[in-house]
Amino acid sequence: MNRARVFGMLLLLLTGSLARAHIASNGFLKLTADGTQVSGSLELAIRDGELAVGLDHDGDGKVTWRELKASQKSLQNYMQGHLRLGDGHAACPMQFEPLEVNERVDGNYLWLPFVVTCGSSLKQLSIEYSVLDAEDPSHRGLLTLISKGTTQTAVLGGAQGARRFDLDHVSPWSAFAEYLRAGIWHIWSGIDHLLFLLSLLLPAVLLRRQNRWEAVPIAAPALVNIVKVVTAFTLAHSITLSLAAFDVIRLPSRLTESVIAASIIIAALNNVFPRVTEGRWRIAFAFGLLHGFGFASVLAEMGLPQGARLVSLVAFNLGVEAGQLAVVLAVMPLAYYLRSTNFYRRGIMPWGSTAIACLALFWFVQRAVL
Amino acid sequence: VSSRIGLPRISRGKLFACAALLLNFVSLAANAQPHIPGNDDTVLAELSAGTRYSDVAARRSALNRVDVAIPLAQFYIQQSRLTGDLRFLGYAEAVLGGWVKQTHPNPDVLVLQATLQQSRHDFAASLATLDRALTIRPRSPQALLIRATVLRVLGRYLEAGAACEHFSELVDPRLGALCREGLRGLNGHLQPAYAALTQISPQGWLNSEKSWLYSELGEMAVRLGRNGEAKRWFEEDLTLVPTDFYVRAAYADLLLSEDRAADALQLLRGQESFEPLLLRIAIAQRRLNDSGLAQSRSRLCAAFDAERQRGEAVHQRERARYLLEVEDEPEQSLEAALQNWTVQREPDDALVLMRAAKAAGKARAAAPARDFVLAQGQNDVRVEALTATMLVSR
Repeated sequence: MNRARVFGMLLLLLTGSLARAHIASNGFLKLTADGTQVSGSLELAIRDGELAVGLDHDGDGKVTWRELKASQKSLQNYMQGHLRLGDGHAACPMQFEPLEVNERVDGNYLWLPFVVTCGSSLKQLSIEYSVLDAEDPSHRGLLTLISKGTTQTAVLGGAQGARRFDLDHVSPWSAFAEYLRAGIWHIWSGIDHLLFLLSLLLPAVLLRRQNRWEAVPIAAPALVNIVKVVTAFTLAHSITLSLAAFDVIRLPSRLTESVIAASIIIAALNNVFPRVTEGRWRIAFAFGLLHGFGFASVLAEMGLPQGARLVSLVAFNLGVEAGQLAVVLAVMPLAYYLRSTNFYRRGIMPWGSTAIACLALFWFVQRAVL
Repeated sequence: VSSRIGLPRISRGKLFACAALLLNFVSLAANAQPHIPGNDDTVLAELSAGTRYSDVAARRSALNRVDVAIPLAQFYIQQSRLTGDLRFLGYAEAVLGGWVKQTHPNPDVLVLQATLQQSRHDFAASLATLDRALTIRPRSPQALLIRATVLRVLGRYLEAGAACEHFSELVDPRLGALCREGLRGLNGHLQPAYAALTQISPQGWLNSEKSWLYSELGEMAVRLGRNGEAKRWFEEDLTLVPTDFYVRAAYADLLLSEDRAADALQLLRGQESFEPLLLRIAIAQRRLNDSGLAQSRSRLCAAFDAERQRGEAVHQRERARYLLEVEDEPEQSLEAALQNWTVQREPDDALVLMRAAKAAGKARAAAPARDFVLAQGQNDVRVEALTATMLVSR
């Protein structure tokens, strides 16, 4: 071995290897378990397929579709030996469907669909993944396992032997609970939605007469006001949230976030310089539509689990409502109690609203301009 | 400092939104449906050297012959560097695998193994492997140099210095000086170290050795604020070794810091397959409102997402920059930068952390980096400029 060359190579490597490049080798294993069957596919980079079974038959350094098709049988045999699915007790036989090709950001992948049939209804799935274990120990199988509307993910390979996955424990209810929590949490941490609603609700316990705020004499009209505003807001943001969640409409988040800030300014200023004194629910509805897009961006980041999309969406929405209602129930009785005091009518109404408007103006500048 | 406290954060877990992002660019076919190519002659992949099935035979013989295993592993490591394809590191690992586990391993095998571990940022394992190699062959310049490099990345300059001293006794004294002065440039003696390195004449050196010298000089010049000189060193290096993507990235960063995004883009043209360079491309595209940004973004997003799915966190420095300079997510960027700082402590790591902290309005979060830089007496005009503005904003 030429020492100088080795040394030089190491040097070259050292100066650069600290900034690592490129994606490592991944296989994408997608499985859907249902009853006694698991249907699924394995996606493997063509380059990895070449290493596994040899695809480039004419040796010209290129793999064509013709060559790939001709290797279908050997790929299937390889898969039989390197991907074993079982019900926890015994292996289940695998049947293949015709090979196809899928394009990913880092190149073409061969897509090998199959169906596995087990003896009895599956409560557990064992997966033994040893694809490329001899050729590339850094290869991993990224598993997406769908069962009863719930998605599990895992990283397979790396000589860890068979892995077992429970198909029974997970249920749509776990997704429901998770998204319910996310909804509540978002309304609590997303103070902008609450401030908008509060700005509209502050005057609900008052009446506007001769350019002055007066307390409502009895609870009924205040209650009607609150119910109208909350319902309108809920209805509006539910509509747009659903539309966005199912990808019917999408707005740039900078735009929605800016308009949400603007909506708070408008709602708050309306308390200081009242323009709309009757039917504030209309403001709640109109801007509620935009707040819905705001919620949607949170949901988009969480992603809706496949098969439990609707349940999760409903859960998230209910969470938002629950969080919202908790605030209304905490604040509005107090507002009702204080409604005839000067502190409320001359203090909180104008100055509290001004403070909210200022804060929202700050957000607006930050979101729209900066 | 608290200017952003109470501000609703809309975009938690942005990285998990890759799927959504990718869907927006269906043209890339990121999540496209599997299909049957229309033509039998459609070329689906081109195979580069070392990726053929026929090579598998050579690999098999490497299982029984260490004299095949060592050069083959070296070849794969080199291919990984030339092509940016991480798969080659896996191939090298496969070739070395059995030899590393032996009770009396060949020290050359251990040095290569340590190199692999270091490129996966598994620094602790790399140091342990080097210890084994040095026990067997204490006078191994390769092992000592990797040891010095790893310790330097970790910010353990005293130990790195010891490794350099030891290394110097075994090699061309000019290489020893390069190792030593590179370290001195990080612990308070940047100016004299730079001056000393400019005196070195690389006559008779291998390209890789020259490249080491030029990249060290270039980076020092950047930290000194001598941008013109830095550019000359970087250009010298790239003329010699056009595939040196590490220096290309450093050069691009310099151009970006001078608001010359268009020039940076020009420098990086055709280098999209290297993620660290793709990151700089995306940053430049964003500044220029370039239409290519969508594609770069979704590719980067997919890369970080794949890494996350594998449970690896090797690219935290790049991820922090991506989040800050492409996605405009200072809070998440800060999180990644803090995580990165626990792993590596190069000047760029400090810089990334401070920038993220500043953008997130949490100057105090950058304290670990700032304290480290101060304690080492590290001079870096970029850090100094940033510290000044952070003090003002407080």
